[in-house]
Amino acid sequence: MRSIYLVARRDYLGYVQAWGFWLGLLLTPILMGVGMMAPTWAAASQPTRYYTVIESGTDFTDALKAEIEEDRISIARTALDPVGVLNGEPNEKVEAFDAAIDNGATVDEALAEAGGTSIELPQADFIYVDPPGRTEEAIQPYLLGERAVDSPNGPQTLFAAIFVPEGDGDIEYWSENITAQSLLAKVRAAERTLTERRVFAEAGVSPRILSEAESRRRGISEKRARPASAAATGSQVTLADRAPFFAAVMLAFLLWFLIFSVVNYLLMGTIEERSNKIFDSLLTSVKLPDMLAGKLLAVLAVALTLMGVWVIGALVVGNAFSGAMPPEAREMLFTVVSAIAKPSLLVPAVLSFILGYLMYGAVFLALGSLCDTIQEAQTLMTPLIVMLMVPMFMIVVAISDAESPILSVMSWIPVFTPFLLILRVPAQPPLWEVVGLLVMMVAATLLVLWLASRVYRAGAVHGAGVGDVGKWFTKLIPGKKGEAGS
Amino acid sequence: MTSSAPLEMENVTKRFGFFTAVRDLSLNVPQGAIVGFLGPNGAGKSTSLRMALGVLSPDEGEVRLFGERPNIESLRHVGFLPEERGLYKKMSPRAIISYFARLKGMSAGESRKRADELLEMMGLTEFGRSRISKLSKGMSQKVQILASLAHRPDFLILDEPFSGLDPVNQQGLEDLIIEEHKRGATILFSTHVMEHAERLCDSIVMMARGRKVFDGTLDEAFGALGRAVLIGVSDGFDLDGAMTAKGFGENEKHGDTWRVSLPSGRDAQDALRAAIDTGAPITSFRPEDARLRDVFVSLVSDAEAEDLRQSLATHAAKEEAA
Repeated sequence: MRSIYLVARRDYLGYVQAWGFWLGLLLTPILMGVGMMAPTWAAASQPTRYYTVIESGTDFTDALKAEIEEDRISIARTALDPVGVLNGEPNEKVEAFDAAIDNGATVDEALAEAGGTSIELPQADFIYVDPPGRTEEAIQPYLLGERAVDSPNGPQTLFAAIFVPEGDGDIEYWSENITAQSLLAKVRAAERTLTERRVFAEAGVSPRILSEAESRRRGISEKRARPASAAATGSQVTLADRAPFFAAVMLAFLLWFLIFSVVNYLLMGTIEERSNKIFDSLLTSVKLPDMLAGKLLAVLAVALTLMGVWVIGALVVGNAFSGAMPPEAREMLFTVVSAIAKPSLLVPAVLSFILGYLMYGAVFLALGSLCDTIQEAQTLMTPLIVMLMVPMFMIVVAISDAESPILSVMSWIPVFTPFLLILRVPAQPPLWEVVGLLVMMVAATLLVLWLASRVYRAGAVHGAGVGDVGKWFTKLIPGKKGEAGS
Repeated sequence: MTSSAPLEMENVTKRFGFFTAVRDLSLNVPQGAIVGFLGPNGAGKSTSLRMALGVLSPDEGEVRLFGERPNIESLRHVGFLPEERGLYKKMSPRAIISYFARLKGMSAGESRKRADELLEMMGLTEFGRSRISKLSKGMSQKVQILASLAHRPDFLILDEPFSGLDPVNQQGLEDLIIEEHKRGATILFSTHVMEHAERLCDSIVMMARGRKVFDGTLDEAFGALGRAVLIGVSDGFDLDGAMTAKGFGENEKHGDTWRVSLPSGRDAQDALRAAIDTGAPITSFRPEDARLRDVFVSLVSDAEAEDLRQSLATHAAKEEAA
């Protein structure tokens, strides 16, 4: 044990004294924060765009304005009650807001009526301007930026022009930008609404009746079948039901990220020892399994240090800003954190992390022992990195359907089990399957550790290199005589 | 530490694929001895030493370190300097020496104290906390040597310890080896620089082409070469004919000097008397100052010639069989 401790201590201190460690420690949360905020920032930074509609009358223009306003209505409702909206049980503020909208109020007016004056909604993405011309030729210079249209914000470039012919002719959507499609989607939605209204009118159904039909539409309440033992929690699907799935996705991603980040330490450390020719000195001082255990422990400690610092940092920041956080957001955060802390998710997650780390760590350690340079290591790492990307795709699958059959099948492939077991746990797979996956993971980890120690010995003692990898697969299985230190 | 010999190897053979690196090597390093392990490059010295330490397993034969198969416990009594030098470049000499001493069982405090003591002894105190990457190659090598003996081992195995050191540092290392020997350590070191072995060793083992070609004391080594005297003559005198008649039959001419081999039971005085008796115009006379290098070259050449003979014989036998 002493040797393991000494090797682990030396390696750990070596890693944490390096610049790379501190950069990773500080930059990772910053970059993750940037990544999480990027969609919001992107939406906020999207310039307001100006469109016009050329039609006789204002039917289409009104329908399109209403469609565009829908986005802000949705944002306002979520801001008023995030948990209630997600659970399908909005509070009285949201109900007041909905009622005001139904009575023809603008979004800002409805918010004021619902008591949400403190909520700042983003400006609309698209603003209507009067058409500067009636024909394509007249509009073209405005679309190309050669001329500016008058807008509430002064002269602006026209983003899009929608020509709505009378009769059955196609609506034409003109724009210089063919990649930003959201306005086009709104145009389609507006046309769908208008067509429905027109057809109903032709059939003698007045807009008032349509509106009444809309208001009398029944709500859909999402229920969850629960065993009798959990009947007390009620059948309504709430955030507490969804939280374990969010939590599992977060944990699986965290595991993937940590493994992906820290196993490189093992690879680089071993390459350094090989290129510095330290193996013989070490092997006459420490047993090979103790040396490997020390190295794996050192990097595990690095991972735990990173996690510990980030968690403490998150708690400190969270505590500092908790006062500024709306109660609804606090409740949401608390629900997700509680889901992570539940033993039914935490225990498999911790086991998966340890076993996954050992499995991948041992592989990277073995690869490092075969390489003299980073360039050599890269040739062996490429297939591993490709393999490590698969769980990322599976995380995406789990976000849309945590009970997808592909997740179930892939979770039985040992190299993916550590990540996919976590994703499956919230769906409460049968106990035999969870136990089976854990047993398989333990067996696979032991097998990988055994193979990795053989490869490591070949690299460290016999100086085997990248070129020998292929030859080994035929030689690894029959045992050789044990050597000192083994 | 047990009372068994620090190292015993019995009929040890090691093959790498079809190549036999060490063949049927038997070796005994008695306690308290300084043994030189000599041989040309590729003779199998490093492979033998790695087997002695249990880093490699022999394919045949047996290795005993302090009476046991090499294991981590018996290795605690051993200090090893590998042929391929290497240290953690980002660590300081003090930390490295302390680290290896602790791996061998020393306490943290004792190991640091020992590191300071050794660094001071080698004049490296001011570099004790610098990174290894900032030191010269020679300094790094000294640090590695210190790391191998920091835990005061009973048995020091040094693989080519003098290579890469300048003459001053080579002398320093010789002094260090003598100090360690005086402390009570048994020492086995490999080298192909014969002068170090001549000055330091009680006995030597010579390897060539994976085989042991000599194992004995320095005197025995010189004896194996054969003694001779060098006699200078003038006027082109044919000393060979005259000396052959006196019973000295192996004579070689090098300019005006003849190398006269001494047959068994005859010494230099006998040769001088015989030369005078022949009436040769003698201009100089001195016993040949045989060096270990000559013994080495002679034995290694013999071994290589023997190998060649065996190889040809095997080839011929195969041809005949075909």
